[in-house]
Amino acid sequence: MSGAITPQRPELVSEGVPSRRPRWLEIATSGDHKDVGRMLVAASLGFLTLGLLAFLLIRLQLIVPENTLIEPVTFNRLLSVMAATLVMLFALPLALGLFTYLVPLQVGARSLAFPRLANLGAWLYIVGGAVLYISFVYTPPEAGVNPLPPLSDTAFISNNGVDVWIAAVGLSALGFTLLALNLLVTLRKMRAPGLAWRRLPPFSFSAAVSSWILLVIGPAMLAALTMLEIDRHFGGVFFDPGEGGAPTYWQHLSWIFFTGCYLLMILPAAGAISEILPTFSRKPLISRRAVNASMAAIGAIGLLAWMQNMFTASIPVGWLYFAMLAALALIVPLGVLFVNWLGTLASGAIEMRAPMLFALGAISTLSIGLTAELAHAVVPVNWLLADTTDSTGATGYVLVGGSVLGGLAALHYWFPKMTGRLMGESQARISFWAIIAGVQLTFIPMFLAGLNGQPVDAYKYYEDSVYDGSGTGLEVVTDSFQSLDTYNLLTTIGAFILVTGIVLSLVNAVRSLSHGVRAGHDPWGGDTLEWLALSPPPPHNFDVVPDVRSDEPMRDIRDAVRERQAPAPPAKAESDEPVA
Amino acid sequence: MFGPESAHSPNADDLNALYWVLLAIAVALALAINGALIWLAMRYRTARGSEPRRLRSRRPAQVLVAGSFGVLALVLFVLGVVFTESASDVEPSGPDGLQASSQLTAQRDLSIPVDTEPLTITASGQQWLWRYEYPDGTYSYYELVVPVDTAVLVELDSTDVVHRWWVPGLGGKFDVVPNQVSRTWFKADTEGVYYGSSYQFSGASYAAMRTEVQVVSPTEYQAWLTQQADDIAAAQDFVQEELAIRGEPGTRSGAASVQPVGGEQ
Ligand SMILES: [Cu+2]
Repeated sequence: MSGAITPQRPELVSEGVPSRRPRWLEIATSGDHKDVGRMLVAASLGFLTLGLLAFLLIRLQLIVPENTLIEPVTFNRLLSVMAATLVMLFALPLALGLFTYLVPLQVGARSLAFPRLANLGAWLYIVGGAVLYISFVYTPPEAGVNPLPPLSDTAFISNNGVDVWIAAVGLSALGFTLLALNLLVTLRKMRAPGLAWRRLPPFSFSAAVSSWILLVIGPAMLAALTMLEIDRHFGGVFFDPGEGGAPTYWQHLSWIFFTGCYLLMILPAAGAISEILPTFSRKPLISRRAVNASMAAIGAIGLLAWMQNMFTASIPVGWLYFAMLAALALIVPLGVLFVNWLGTLASGAIEMRAPMLFALGAISTLSIGLTAELAHAVVPVNWLLADTTDSTGATGYVLVGGSVLGGLAALHYWFPKMTGRLMGESQARISFWAIIAGVQLTFIPMFLAGLNGQPVDAYKYYEDSVYDGSGTGLEVVTDSFQSLDTYNLLTTIGAFILVTGIVLSLVNAVRSLSHGVRAGHDPWGGDTLEWLALSPPPPHNFDVVPDVRSDEPMRDIRDAVRERQAPAPPAKAESDEPVA
Repeated sequence: MFGPESAHSPNADDLNALYWVLLAIAVALALAINGALIWLAMRYRTARGSEPRRLRSRRPAQVLVAGSFGVLALVLFVLGVVFTESASDVEPSGPDGLQASSQLTAQRDLSIPVDTEPLTITASGQQWLWRYEYPDGTYSYYELVVPVDTAVLVELDSTDVVHRWWVPGLGGKFDVVPNQVSRTWFKADTEGVYYGSSYQFSGASYAAMRTEVQVVSPTEYQAWLTQQADDIAAAQDFVQEELAIRGEPGTRSGAASVQPVGGEQ
């Protein structure tokens, strides 16, 4: 061995090998689940920023009574776009992006079942989102959060805004359905040897439940959108009350969809929380079986409760009771889930790293949103609270608790896996406390304003003096519609704090891409298979797919490595102890 | 502050009573979860030297938890049914009410006592105002005038898109759907003004789609009806005259509620 190696001409020369394409084109056309997942996560966070901007504009309009800052029609457009963005362009694709990235890694697969289909699904969604925002140069949708016929028919809104909404939601819903199908087949067919369903990590299990929900609600919504479009432009009368159709049909179909979307704000977060709590408490879930069963039950029972959103409609009282029963039955799996989370914390060794902080914040925020929603599940109380800002507040808590805090918990947890770097810990803390403070200040006044009768989705409210009975010569009996100015001012202040907190985390994520502390393949000591792969994982994910012998394959692998390194009788980690 | 508008109608009583039950349960659950969460997170910090114990729960414990939440759900369901039924029972008019006046909820299933006939008023939603029609054919816009202590059956109807009618203090809110009649009812116990609004997004000026219920004594109610009928007739005469003179309808500010003014007055 001596002398330097001199560079030599290659011995094999091949003609026609395509030169390496630009990196962005590689990612955009990639069938690698990690590229698709990253694309979905990045797009969903980008749309979140736009949605939050619309939210702040809406809150500025409502900062004082009878504000004229924003025109009513402009307000309605912002409202329609904001709602579609936060649900369709942020909450669902963020969850699906994380699922698409992580599920193959968690189940020890080298790819998704249908790599190209995942790419198609992601692009359908991105194009759908683009359609929604490009419409601002001509006519954005203005028919409200849920474009109820006949208002959304051409007789009342003849411009193309509703068609934009149909296109954006339709393309995204189709994309999500394809992504869900792909995940289900992957989960069913491509698990590592030994990875039985009962050993499936909770996050992957929540992916399975979420995907089933999407397979039910996606086609239902696509059918409804098609019917609405036929009504609008091809002489259909599906939802036309004068011609034997009924707006109620649209209500049923769209509420099946939106109820599913609501569950998709909760379930992916529940899956992520159920992974993060054990990792940062250094002990397993007290019952993985109970957690997974709860998530399955939430999906199944939750979908049956779609009519909870229609308690004020003229539907037979028997159906009201059926919907109330389903909505109330949700208490059982949700309660079991929360008790299991709390039980997992007990007797743990809790390390309060950023993902853990966000996971605990998600539990707290979700618990408030879900208990507030409980009141809406009971028919007579629903008649009081429905369609006031109280319902916005309850949904807001769930959206922030599930998709925002749960999403950020998942992002902080798996960011090192996806990028090889940790997210900044101290920025994460500032962001976290701003979100927690912001969410209370935004939504608690909304509850109070709702109790005072402030209608949902309205572009303005009135000063107290408008309700002083002047001109009638009669006493004012009720004090409804009073103090709305104070409550709305507080909500607007809260909204700015909340949005600042969220944006801090987004900035932290972008900054950490290049400045984050480098992480190894397993920075947290996780127990699931994705921590076996390199960070970020190579295109084929694993060199060797291990046999799975327990709930915690990485723990087994660590134990095996420790035994090999220390031949002395190993201090085998504490074994499980059953409790009552 | 933490409760709904105080009830001024028997069905509103039912709604409010159950509201307080639900508020208590929701607050108790949220406090319990958050209290336990904060306590556990403080108590078992590694910083405090906590060592993990790999506890696993057995099936009976999980079943017990599920069972207790199941009981809660069942109790709430029964309460919900009982109070829904009770709120749908139209009470006969009281002694101070309009006599010989006094069935269904979007409330499709209102039950109306057989020996009474409630005062039936049609509330018609249209973009963006409310039109009320009384049994004698008289009508008013924006304001609904009714006698006190009288069972009022409100038939909800829309001429265009879906609206939703609610006057806090006088019961629940119900959808107003074109070509579909749904009904609700109230029996106001106090004379005075009650404010309400539309609660279904219905287009550009939805926020202005407010309404006002004026509860007066039966004699005042009769007097108002007569006056309103006269005003309507006078306004119609005026329009006819204008048509005859100018060949086009004129405008005149008569009694405010004769003309559609929406909630903007
Ligand atoms: Cu309306």
